[in-house]
Amino acid sequence: MAGVLGWLRNPWGKPRWLGVVTLLYIAWSILPVGIAVLFAFNNGRSRTTWQGFSTRWFTGAVGSVFHDPALQSAFKHTLFLGVLCVAVATPLGVALALGLQRWRGPGSGVVNTMMLLPLVTPEIVMGVALLLLFLKIFPGLGLGTTAQAIGQVTFTLSYVVVIVRGRLVSIGREYEEAAADLGAPPHDQLLRVLLPLLAPAIIASAAVVFALSIDDFVVTQYLSSDASTTTVPMLLYASARGAPTPALNAIATVMLVVTLLTLSFAFFVYRKFAGGSDAAVAAALEV
Amino acid sequence: MQGEIQLEQLTKRFAEVVAVDSVDIGMPGGEFFTLLGPSGCGKTTTLRMIAGFERPTSGKIVLDGTDVAQTPPHKRNVNTVFQSYALFPHLDVAKNVAFGLKYQRCTKDEVRRRVAEALELVQLTGFDRRKSSQLSGGQQQRVALARALVLRPRVLLLDEPLGALDARLRKSLQVELKALQAELGITFVFVTHDQEEALTMSDRVAVMNQGRVEQAGSPREVYEEPQTVFVADFLGVSNLLSGEATAGDNGACTLRMGERTLRAAQGSTGSRGQVKAMIRPERIVVEAHGTTGENRVPGLVERSVFLGNAFEVHVRIVGGDLLKAMVPNDGSVTEREEGAAVTLHLPAEALRVLAPSTSEAEPAATRA
Repeated sequence: MAGVLGWLRNPWGKPRWLGVVTLLYIAWSILPVGIAVLFAFNNGRSRTTWQGFSTRWFTGAVGSVFHDPALQSAFKHTLFLGVLCVAVATPLGVALALGLQRWRGPGSGVVNTMMLLPLVTPEIVMGVALLLLFLKIFPGLGLGTTAQAIGQVTFTLSYVVVIVRGRLVSIGREYEEAAADLGAPPHDQLLRVLLPLLAPAIIASAAVVFALSIDDFVVTQYLSSDASTTTVPMLLYASARGAPTPALNAIATVMLVVTLLTLSFAFFVYRKFAGGSDAAVAAALEV
Repeated sequence: MQGEIQLEQLTKRFAEVVAVDSVDIGMPGGEFFTLLGPSGCGKTTTLRMIAGFERPTSGKIVLDGTDVAQTPPHKRNVNTVFQSYALFPHLDVAKNVAFGLKYQRCTKDEVRRRVAEALELVQLTGFDRRKSSQLSGGQQQRVALARALVLRPRVLLLDEPLGALDARLRKSLQVELKALQAELGITFVFVTHDQEEALTMSDRVAVMNQGRVEQAGSPREVYEEPQTVFVADFLGVSNLLSGEATAGDNGACTLRMGERTLRAAQGSTGSRGQVKAMIRPERIVVEAHGTTGENRVPGLVERSVFLGNAFEVHVRIVGGDLLKAMVPNDGSVTEREEGAAVTLHLPAEALRVLAPSTSEAEPAATRA
């Protein structure tokens, strides 16, 4: 017993019990995900009893991810919303970040703080608020894809602003001044110097927006209309109580892989080109 | 001569702070002009106003007869070498150097030729495809120079460009920069807090303190004939003596310091009443105890610091002041053992009466 405790305490090195606790935590948090992924490959209809390995829920002829129309539709709609959200939120967020960073007028502090509000607002509150907005104030727009996209852009915009502003602060004004000094007019200072230097942050924030969008449930659910606007998270939630098959695990696995790939891509792009990690991005990537 | 700059009543206020306080400086074209002063003296703000990065609160910046104070930086025919170089990290060396040529309507061939010329000028031929992260500090500095010089500006502004380099590299680049300036014949405006750098490189130096110019002149003038306590103190080591000035003979004045009187023949010898006088350590002669004559002061050696080529002897004179004398290590043995009694000779021709500092501030602690 004393030997084990001594080994854990490891007084002349890093205390090993920290590592043990960390490993236990990681195992605990990965275990359910691992089980869910495992049963995506079950050769049977059960999501709890292992009946052998198969990829039938991915590629099989009946009820698989690639052949079930409902799953197909949800998957396409999810990706479509993700791309749309990236296409709108990223340029808008970059423009906002540039404006907020360079604007030193009265009220800039208030606006800066307000930009962070969507990050701390409970999503259910935002979902309900947006629903009321579309039903009562802009009934003309109606619910559905447009409303979902606007809703997702609303809350993902803040992430873009936070990430890009973090990079802007670390870049400083010097490169813009150098460009101006060499004769570049303001729009060239932006296009030839600032945007290339911001590229890692822009790519990282686009990836974060995409990941947030395809994972989102609350806002997307509130603003959906009919079956054609069902996304994968919504489908998973709805059919979990019905007649679930491992096809749900399979599509969840596909989503997991897409999200992980997107975030790793963002992380590596940022690390490689921005040189070092940035607290804002690290925090955002962990969301 | 092109590249002449006149600063007229130039002032910059940041909220409550006056960074530059109605400065008047004339920088003749084609000269190496240095703005020298401690940090926070307004030298960098002055440079940034000439570059166009800061808008003056009031005053004029006249470049070759045209007031450019309200012209944005990209329309001014001046270029800057930044303290941290500010090389664009996403571009290679050649693209960095070619950056500004886009705005001079050059043909492709001309761009290539001028980039090659500029890189040759700073001895970086063959570095075209390197990224700035693959260059040493000295090489980055040369790229920054080439990037500015390739545009053939009338004035080159340099903001402590040697500050980030180690001492040895600094020395060799000082010489190179000066040679480059002489070769190109364009005006260099150089900002530094290093008095030695300012003295060795400049044709003309303006010593700044608290947003104002204390004194401007050739390096020799500001060193040998400082007009204020601040300038005397900031440029090199100097000994300051307080005394009461009265009339003397032949344009000199007599300084009364307690029991003792000294004759001072330099500086504002017309001043009367309480004044400060200075003498450089290298002008004080350490003599054997008991030597008599004009301007002789007895004292006790407190410390003797071996500097290699010289000894710095600290002598406490009668009356309490501590004077530093530089004794060359020329082989002759002089009394400089600690505690020894000596006599200091303060030649009248080396004793300078100072006008009070314009800002009336106490001089900062003596700089090495």
